[in-house]
Amino acid sequence: MSTETLTSATDTPLGTASTGRIHLTFPRVVRSEWIKFRTLRSTVWTLATTIVLMVGISLLFAWGVTSSTGAGGNPEDFGGLTGANVVTGGYYFGQLTLAVLGVLVISGEYSTGMIRSTLAAVPTRLPALWAKALVLGVTSFVVSSIAIGLSYVATRAMLDPIDLATDLGDPEQIRILLGTALYLTAIALLAFAFGALLRHSAAALAAVLGLLLVVENVFLLIPLTFFEKISPFLPSTAGSQLMMPQAQIDLMAQSATGAVLTPWEGFAVLAAWVVVLLGVAAVLLKRRNA
Amino acid sequence: MIEAHGLTKRYGSKTAVDDVSFTVHPGKVTGFLGPNGAGKSTTMRMIVGLDRPTHGTVTVNGRPYAQHRDPLRQVGALLDAKAIHTGRSAYNHLLAMGATHGIGKTRIREVIEMTGLESVAKKRVGGFSLGMGQRLGIASALLGDPRTLILDEPVNGLDPEGVVWVRNLVRYLASEGRTVFLSSHLMSEMALTADHIIVVGRGRVLADATTADIVARAAGTTVRVRSPQASRLVELLAGPGVSFTSTAPQAVEITGSTAEAIGEAAAAAQLVLHELTPVNGSLEDAYMSLTQDSVEYHSGEPGPHTDHAGAHTAPATQEGAHR
Repeated sequence: MSTETLTSATDTPLGTASTGRIHLTFPRVVRSEWIKFRTLRSTVWTLATTIVLMVGISLLFAWGVTSSTGAGGNPEDFGGLTGANVVTGGYYFGQLTLAVLGVLVISGEYSTGMIRSTLAAVPTRLPALWAKALVLGVTSFVVSSIAIGLSYVATRAMLDPIDLATDLGDPEQIRILLGTALYLTAIALLAFAFGALLRHSAAALAAVLGLLLVVENVFLLIPLTFFEKISPFLPSTAGSQLMMPQAQIDLMAQSATGAVLTPWEGFAVLAAWVVVLLGVAAVLLKRRNA
Repeated sequence: MIEAHGLTKRYGSKTAVDDVSFTVHPGKVTGFLGPNGAGKSTTMRMIVGLDRPTHGTVTVNGRPYAQHRDPLRQVGALLDAKAIHTGRSAYNHLLAMGATHGIGKTRIREVIEMTGLESVAKKRVGGFSLGMGQRLGIASALLGDPRTLILDEPVNGLDPEGVVWVRNLVRYLASEGRTVFLSSHLMSEMALTADHIIVVGRGRVLADATTADIVARAAGTTVRVRSPQASRLVELLAGPGVSFTSTAPQAVEITGSTAEAIGEAAAAAQLVLHELTPVNGSLEDAYMSLTQDSVEYHSGEPGPHTDHAGAHTAPATQEGAHR
């Protein structure tokens, strides 16, 4: 191929890339990150798994509620449980798959060396980080919303007869549905920040899943004042308030020794975690050698 | 045009690049040589802003790389063939890279064709051979049709045909007035490709000159003589600064004299000469003598010690040296 290829190389020396419009813009960096995001099989699989898990769990949840109600129970016995909680019951598993996705979006570039190509193309670096976060955030929100929508449709036939159907006219129910999508988006971005900070897939996954699944639950269980004071401000515990029915929050307020955050206060705390960690990740990205 | 001024990089207590200054000019192929650990890759990474210099500055086409609005149009870099996500296809990799600058699909197809990747463009990069990965790295470097090319070990893993292709490509790109800066461990290849050479060792610049100058300066000139009376000739010529290496019975290589002086001495003594050939040193010899004190990782010599200066690989490298 030597001569032929060389000829074709020399025929188009300045080629189609030589027009004056070839330069960096933020929307173009976002487009690039979107192409990168959608052209990996792991992304597609993780998102599909998120939807299947969330819809599946909400169906199981609805089945459980229906069968116990059918056996003589009453929706009132579920401690203020609303239809929206059943619909979004898969959030716990959804946060795991989205956290994995959030970590891999950035740590996968470090483990393969791709980050050097990325930063050579965008040498000011931060636009690439923000573009990745934007693509991840928007996709996580859209996919969570789709999963919640499908769960709503799938569980409707079961929840209607026991009077637990989600009332889309009720602000609290809407807050729970929307809040779940926002919560999952924030968790994906939190995981992304961990990935950007630690730069190793295994380390970042261990850190973020360890925090969400182990540390936060352990803190909840330890009956010492220190832990009870800290616990409500940990990212997942705080953010979960947004998905909690008011009745349940009121119940917590009666017994809790630590702070009981309102739904939006709780989400603000989670968002603050994300902003601070992303900020630190941005400073380090700017400073570190790639 | 690449201009480095007092470029220094320290990793902890280790100094990888130590106060390096050089200029890489457009219209020429500039080779970057040095032993492993000499700081070549670190220097190249600093040029494109991947590593931050501890001291000093480096500019490309007049500005620090990161200050260009169109970095991929300014510099195409192949720094590490592994700088590509293994889960993505070659086409999608190039598409994503180009998208940052608004480079369209036509150009993507052009560079795929240029680098001979048509048949594997849609396959995932994880399954690529070293040579295919290298071609994709070169395709990425060419994507923005850059004024300056920085290629770290571009022929690494390429088949002989690929080596020739890279040589022709970089010489062509330089002839168009672009700046080409490439490193390689293959001396004979570098001698054929580069017009100008910068040699580094232990983070410092050891030599910065044209390829021909470097070869001539470091290796000196040797004359190969064959004569039935070789031993008599050696006695005649013996003196300070002249050394002899016997390469075969009746053959000797003489360093520190000239073909003219040897021929005249032989005629005066009425000695028969069967051969009188000036032999230029190779780039490899020049490189070895320049870097022998600064090799970071010495390998054990297999068997009896052999002097590098004894091994002249003349014709191919001479051609390069005289370019």
